Amino acid sequence: MQPEQQLQFAIVTTIVVGAAIVFGTITAAIMEGRAVNRAFDNMARQPSVADRIRGLLFVVLALLESTAIYVLLICLILLFANPFAGMFGL
Amino acid sequence: MGIDSVFPRTVFEIGPIAITTTLLTTWLVVAMLSVLAVIVHRRFRVWEPDLWQLTIEYVVEYVENLIADTVGRALPDAVSYLTTMICFIALANLLGVLPLLQAPTSDLNTTMALSLVSLGSTHYYGVRHRGLKAQLLSFFEPVAILLPLNIIGQLSRMFSMALRLFGNVVAGEIIGATMFMLLPALAPLPLNMLGMITGLLQALVFTVLTVVFVVDAMRLDD
Repeated sequence: MQPEQQLQFAIVTTIVVGAAIVFGTITAAIMEGRAVNRAFDNMARQPSVADRIRGLLFVVLALLESTAIYVLLICLILLFANPFAGMFGL
Repeated sequence: MGIDSVFPRTVFEIGPIAITTTLLTTWLVVAMLSVLAVIVHRRFRVWEPDLWQLTIEYVVEYVENLIADTVGRALPDAVSYLTTMICFIALANLLGVLPLLQAPTSDLNTTMALSLVSLGSTHYYGVRHRGLKAQLLSFFEPVAILLPLNIIGQLSRMFSMALRLFGNVVAGEIIGATMFMLLPALAPLPLNMLGMITGLLQALVFTVLTVVFVVDAMRLDD
C-alpha cells in the first residue's frame, strides 16, 4: 500500500477514536450526574434511608460507568487491534 | 514499560496450551484463597477468633446481607458460591496494582469464564428451585415466539458482564501505564488508588448482578 494511504488511515483512526471518546464520556457523565443529583436530593429529604441509597448509588454508578467503558473498549480495538489494519499493510 | 505491558503475554507453552501471565496470576489468586481458607479452617475457634477468621466472617456476613437486601430473604445454598466469586474477583482486581503482576481479569478469557460460570449458576439454581421443565419453559415466556429474544437476552447478559469487568480493569491499568510513562514518580499513585476502588466496586457489581439474575431465574416473587 501507498504510504499516503497508510497516513490517511492513521489520521482517520485517530480522529474517530478521539470523537468517540468525547461523545461516549459526555453521555455517561451527564447521566451519572442526573443519577447523583436525584440520589442526593432524596438523601437530604429522607436521611433515614441515606445509607441504603448510598449503597445502591455506587452500584448504579458502576453500571452507568460501564457504558463509557464499552466506548473505551471499541477505541482500544481501533487503536491496537484494528481488523482493517491488514488492508493497509500496517 | 509501555502500553503493551497491560496486555497478557505468553510465558511458555505446554503442548498446544499457551501459559500466559494472566493464567499464572489466576493460579496465584486461587492458591492464596485456598491457603487462607485452609489456615483459617485449621485455626477455627468459636471463642476469641483471630484476625483472619474475623475477616472471612465479615465477608460472608456482608454477602449474606447483600442477598437479604436484594432478595428479601436468605439463600443459604448460594452464600458460599457468591462469597467465593466476590473474593476471587476482588483479589484478582487488586493483584494488578502490584508491580510485575498482571490482574487475571485484564484478560478477556478470565472474565468470559467468570460470566459463563455466572450464567450457568443462574440456570442451576433455576432448575433446582423450579425443576427442569419449568426452567426450560421459562424460555418460552411470555409467548413462544419470543424464544430467540430470550436466548439473545441471556447471551447479551453474559457478554455485558464479561466486557464490563474486563473494560474497567484494563482501563485502570492503561491509565496507570500511561501516567507511568509521562511522570514515573508520583502521578500513577492516585490513579492506582482509584483503580483499586473501581476493582472492588466491580467485584461487588458482578456479584450483585449474579444475585439479581439468580433471583430472576428462581422466580421468587411468584
